Amino acid sequence: MPKLVRLCLLALLPLTFFGTFSYGAQPLDDLKGPIDEVIRILRDPRYQDKAGRELQREKMWNIIQEVFDFTEMAKRTLARNWKKFTPAQRKEFSELFAEFLGNNYIDKIQGGYQEEQVVYLGQKMVTAKRAVVKTKILRESLEIPVAYSMVLRGGVWRVYDVNIEGVSLVKNYRTQFRKALMRKSPAQLIEILRKKIERQKKARATRDDRAGGAADALSNRCQFKEG
Amino acid sequence: MKKSIWIFVFMGFFVVAGTRGLATGAEPGQGKNTGAVPMSIAAGAGVVEERYMDDNLGYLDEEGEEEIQVPDPLADWNLVWFKFNDFFYLKIVEPVAKGYRAVMPVPARTAVKNFFHNLTTPIRFVNCILQWKGEEAGNEFNRFLINSTLGILGFLDVAKKWGNIDPADEDLGQTLGVWGLDNGFYIVWPFIGPCTARDTIGRVGDFFLDPVTYVDPLLLYAGIKSYDVVNRTSFRIGDYQRFKDAAIDPYVAVRDAYIQYREKEVRE
Repeated sequence: MPKLVRLCLLALLPLTFFGTFSYGAQPLDDLKGPIDEVIRILRDPRYQDKAGRELQREKMWNIIQEVFDFTEMAKRTLARNWKKFTPAQRKEFSELFAEFLGNNYIDKIQGGYQEEQVVYLGQKMVTAKRAVVKTKILRESLEIPVAYSMVLRGGVWRVYDVNIEGVSLVKNYRTQFRKALMRKSPAQLIEILRKKIERQKKARATRDDRAGGAADALSNRCQFKEG
Repeated sequence: MKKSIWIFVFMGFFVVAGTRGLATGAEPGQGKNTGAVPMSIAAGAGVVEERYMDDNLGYLDEEGEEEIQVPDPLADWNLVWFKFNDFFYLKIVEPVAKGYRAVMPVPARTAVKNFFHNLTTPIRFVNCILQWKGEEAGNEFNRFLINSTLGILGFLDVAKKWGNIDPADEDLGQTLGVWGLDNGFYIVWPFIGPCTARDTIGRVGDFFLDPVTYVDPLLLYAGIKSYDVVNRTSFRIGDYQRFKDAAIDPYVAVRDAYIQYREKEVRE
């Protein structure tokens, strides 16, 4: 009989565990889940051809948008210059900056994935609502430390800065934007960003054509062999 | 010693060549003001969410995000060499490293990387001592002993693999930083790349602690150094291009990344 009681208690144990941690999810989990999902989509052979790559981008973008707080990033990169922007300009800038960063991120992994692995090293709470999740990327015999600064908002942890080998992405853009805004108006900076995105699109189109062509050639060859 | 003189003469040549003639009056990394202001941004158009109305930036100060600004008085000169290095790296170093990577398997390249890293132990060892880091100095010493013997001349990093002894990433530039010497100003050296006044002094000092420096003749020295660079680059194919693609102003982006990176190293 005591054995049964103990078993019942054991069965209840996970529940108490769940109870203590269910509110306020852990920053590491909120980061790891989506990133692993992005890598899974990236490695999925279904998205090899040109049309597939477009779909792949879309799927990855949907996940990335949830994990990264691009508005917060935009605000932090502009810092004091944020006040020079009208609310409408802030919105436009934030949206363009999000697209620009998202494109960079996706282009990076879609165009040059070298079988890197992500290792999650742990999380450090800075305050109750801010945390840093430390990871490292393993490529061949190289280790690249990557830390994500995250903020808790509405019960979800989202990324507002990425630090690669000691270089903060937000600070890096802040320096660039500050320099640009010394001579240019917010509207001009927005225009620069828009042109950058146009260029990204063009570069991607040529790359996708090439990749798509290679994939088609490969499948043709395979069919030929099978025949 | 003769060789080191040659290298300084060589560097001196670039200094002169850079300041004379080659430098243009253009502002680094910035095109001329286009003056094109898009009229699409009509103020107050539509409904703007609350978060875009928020003017509060106080939390940025509270977080104590200290920012390091390093003066760039040689910006024009630096930009010339930035462009030169950019071309040199993307058109020569990386293509060579790419070909090398295609024929050399990862274990071989890792072994070469380890070998060169082991060879520069004196730099890290001396600077650990100069920074009063006894434990790290001991680690460097042990690593050198273990890897040079059991690790077959340093080709295998057995100290890390079996003993989990991490290398100490120290150099003279960091030592000077720890001692309180300021960065001074930013400077881009041909072939070497981003640097500061302080790190230039550091590099010169480290140069004399590097055993490869004492290889004669000069051509052999250059060959060894080039091979080291190519081998290291083989692990970094495409990284620089991607970093550049993500930049609004590549010159400023590289400068800031260098300063941030070095600042972190000095802190550690």
